Amino acid sequence: MNEKKESAFFSIRDLNVQYKSGAQTVYAVNGVSFDLAAGETLGLVGETGAGKTTIAKSILRILPPHAVKKMEGQVLYEGEDIFQMNDTELRKIRGHQISMIFQDPMTALNPVKRVNEQIAEGYIQHHHCTKAEAEKRAEEMLELVGISADRAGEYPHQFSGGMKQRVVIAMALACSPRLLIADEPTTALDVTIQAQVLDLIKRLRDELGTSMILITHDLGVVAGICDQVAVIYAGRIIEYGTKADVFRHPTHPYTIGLFGALPDLKKDVERLSPIEGLPPDPTEQIEGCAFYPRCERRCEKCKSYRYEPTRLSDTHTILCCNPAGEGEEK
Amino acid sequence: MSNLLEIEHLKKYFKSARGTVHAVDDVNLTIEAGKTVGLVGESGCGKSTLGRTIVHLQESTDGVIRFDGKDVTHLDKKQMLEFRKNAQIIFQDPYSSLDPRQTVQDIIQEPMRLLTKDSKAEIEKKSDELMDIVGIEKRLRLSYPHELDGGRRQRVGIARALALNPKFVVCDEPVSSLDVSIQAQILNLLMDLQDQLGLTYLFITHDMSVVRHISDYICVMYLGQMIEKTDKKSLFDQPLHPYTKALLSAIPTVDIDAQPERIQLKGEINSPIDPKPGCRFAKRCPYAQHCCHEPVPLTEVQPGHFVACHRVKEINQL
Amino acid sequence: MKGNRKDTGSLKPGSLRYVWRKLLRNKSAVFGLTVVCVLIVLSLISPLICRYDYRSMDGLNAYSLPSAEHLLGCDELGRDILSRVLYGARYTFIIGILSTAIAAVLGIAMGAVAGYFGGAVDSALMRFLDIFQSFPMLILAMAFCAVFGTGIDKCILALGISNISGFARLMRANILRIRNMEYVEAATSIGCPTRKIITGHVIPNAISPIIVEIAMGISRNGLASSSLSFLGLGVQQPTPEWGAMLSSARSYIRYYPHMAIIPGIFILITVLSFNLIGDAVRDILDPTLKE
Repeated sequence: MNEKKESAFFSIRDLNVQYKSGAQTVYAVNGVSFDLAAGETLGLVGETGAGKTTIAKSILRILPPHAVKKMEGQVLYEGEDIFQMNDTELRKIRGHQISMIFQDPMTALNPVKRVNEQIAEGYIQHHHCTKAEAEKRAEEMLELVGISADRAGEYPHQFSGGMKQRVVIAMALACSPRLLIADEPTTALDVTIQAQVLDLIKRLRDELGTSMILITHDLGVVAGICDQVAVIYAGRIIEYGTKADVFRHPTHPYTIGLFGALPDLKKDVERLSPIEGLPPDPTEQIEGCAFYPRCERRCEKCKSYRYEPTRLSDTHTILCCNPAGEGEEK
Repeated sequence: MSNLLEIEHLKKYFKSARGTVHAVDDVNLTIEAGKTVGLVGESGCGKSTLGRTIVHLQESTDGVIRFDGKDVTHLDKKQMLEFRKNAQIIFQDPYSSLDPRQTVQDIIQEPMRLLTKDSKAEIEKKSDELMDIVGIEKRLRLSYPHELDGGRRQRVGIARALALNPKFVVCDEPVSSLDVSIQAQILNLLMDLQDQLGLTYLFITHDMSVVRHISDYICVMYLGQMIEKTDKKSLFDQPLHPYTKALLSAIPTVDIDAQPERIQLKGEINSPIDPKPGCRFAKRCPYAQHCCHEPVPLTEVQPGHFVACHRVKEINQL
Repeated sequence: MKGNRKDTGSLKPGSLRYVWRKLLRNKSAVFGLTVVCVLIVLSLISPLICRYDYRSMDGLNAYSLPSAEHLLGCDELGRDILSRVLYGARYTFIIGILSTAIAAVLGIAMGAVAGYFGGAVDSALMRFLDIFQSFPMLILAMAFCAVFGTGIDKCILALGISNISGFARLMRANILRIRNMEYVEAATSIGCPTRKIITGHVIPNAISPIIVEIAMGISRNGLASSSLSFLGLGVQQPTPEWGAMLSSARSYIRYYPHMAIIPGIFILITVLSFNLIGDAVRDILDPTLKE
């Protein structure tokens, strides 16, 4: 979306991913581009099926190969295209330079291995050190995420949900990755535990200077932790900007709709204003704007819209041909 | 207004291999007719069990449930059917709460076929009306649940619960598995239905902003016990229990200018198996002292504001 | 998805007709079904189409290799292998299908009872079935044959009984899973009597994984019947059961391997076909593999 930085630390260029589903094609990601500066955090927000997780998984090329019909574009990590790498190069990046936290801590850990072994595993592979060294590192990591080192030899089932997610985070950070991709890291957790885990992620990110891509459906989580925000709808980033851009001046009708649909903790509203209708069927290729049928500002132009970005400022871009002008926002 | 539902000293214990689970422990609750009471708490606090015990999906271990002035704690078969007509439940998961082998129409008509003596034509007319009320297109009459999206499925679940014209509906996390934009549709629907049909809700959720939006009164549960109970305004303006405060401060807000000052809680929820007497929150509470190991009753601290905390006055300088 | 919706959307997922429609769109299942049907038909009409009777011996042609006269050659007594293999197919199918039917009917009933009532009934039934499961299936079937004697009927009975516990376990597990589904609770909440919950909501939803097990069971039992016959416990000579044919051919395998290879190939493709069908049914019924 923003082409200004020539060699950003990490960027995605025109990513397209399609899945096979029987005889049909699922258009999961349709031309996503963004840049991420070192040390920054980008929030990818969107609803179920918008393509958030597909973007994350294609970065590390861990999409199931039999399901993928087409995967095009460039994923540039320090100028090198991950899509062009061979297996050896890729293995050096995965887990070491870029690592990932998955949504469900219950299934992300191997139930029959001690947690210190699981944390050490990746470290041994990338650092070629002895088992003892790696396990020492694992204990350090556990302390870092707030788990006492005495518990290092325990099995995942001996930990509660929030503790497991801490172990997962320790695993992801053991090799000091430069980029962390967190896919709904707190969705499976209770509110008070979510707060603990988010604070932990924030603290570690700042201490270690890790860049981060945070995927979530919760705008509140984004508000607390991200610098840049990308709102995704039907496989496209329909609004991109700094946190202040998107939260103070949401401009795409979908983003405005999302904010309107949230029950507020402070203001009293008689009725919520939901976005009417449903997200489009991802197996259909849509002429014009994909949000058209649900949009309150739809007009004739939208039907033939070709997704030319509208730049609202240096940092704020939307994909909409009929946005609300200044002064008539919201 | 009169109280539609009154619960006194309700207990629900389960036997497990490691001891007795005190899922609901000595809970009192009254719900006025036509109002919505929100029941909030984190997973495992017993809020769902309480809801299910009230509508007799599980039998209570001890205590009294009064519905519409009548004692409904123990019911024989005939009384149970009568009770079921008045008290219904909407389930959390619109995927597993609909039988995959029934059509939308079958699902909505089943309660009427079972519990009313209406003719087939009447039932069909009523089910069409219900589909109208909850906003499901008539063309979907013969569809199966797997062909519908989550929002529509939840509408079917709501229509089923309303088929018998109940007075009281337990909503067990009805929107927590739905996306934000769909969640708002369902919340609006539930509120409209309440206005149209004069329903009384017990709304169970873990989402504070949802509960604030829909409830008149709010009860906060922690490990099987009610720890704070008051009207919506005082709970959000002036929460008194340390747990409620922490819960409210933990909610991620979209207001980037006013990120809350978080109250960090130590550790995680402890186990509801054979709990020790005393405040169950004490282990995580930043204000816990020696006195917190004594049993703590829910007491009226301010008019209409009940809190179960020994140190509530000191903490809040009341 | 749109396309599928047209064909199968109006059918109950998991119903037999739904499975059938989907099956016809699965290439490997169609292959399996075709092979099975062709074999059954050929077996039934084999006395009409084969030049030789499966019993008639021709000493001059004993051990003869496949030729224009005897397409698949002859066995040690000069009997035409093609006639015997085709005729013999019926035994494999009859034994496979009937023994699976016995196992499925008894197993489903016992599993449903154990799963739904739980408690002492469950423990008693399952411990009883544990006894059967503690022996390998083939050993158990051999023991039955040893007690009841040999022959097709005993072979069916033995394989049927030794397969009960598998079906019972599967059914019990399904019932337990479905009893905990929210829609069963929902049925209680609208005043549905227990009897109707079991017959209307629990059993119909528990039955579909059983279909897979039945398809797999037929192939497994067909193979086991050959094994029993091979060991001399199942179908006896001169009845041309595939396993029995293999068994008698094994003495000559070094010099006349075709006598063993041909029935072997038939066993292989039959088992493969049933497995393909079973696999396809499993894929169709597993909602996590859908879309």
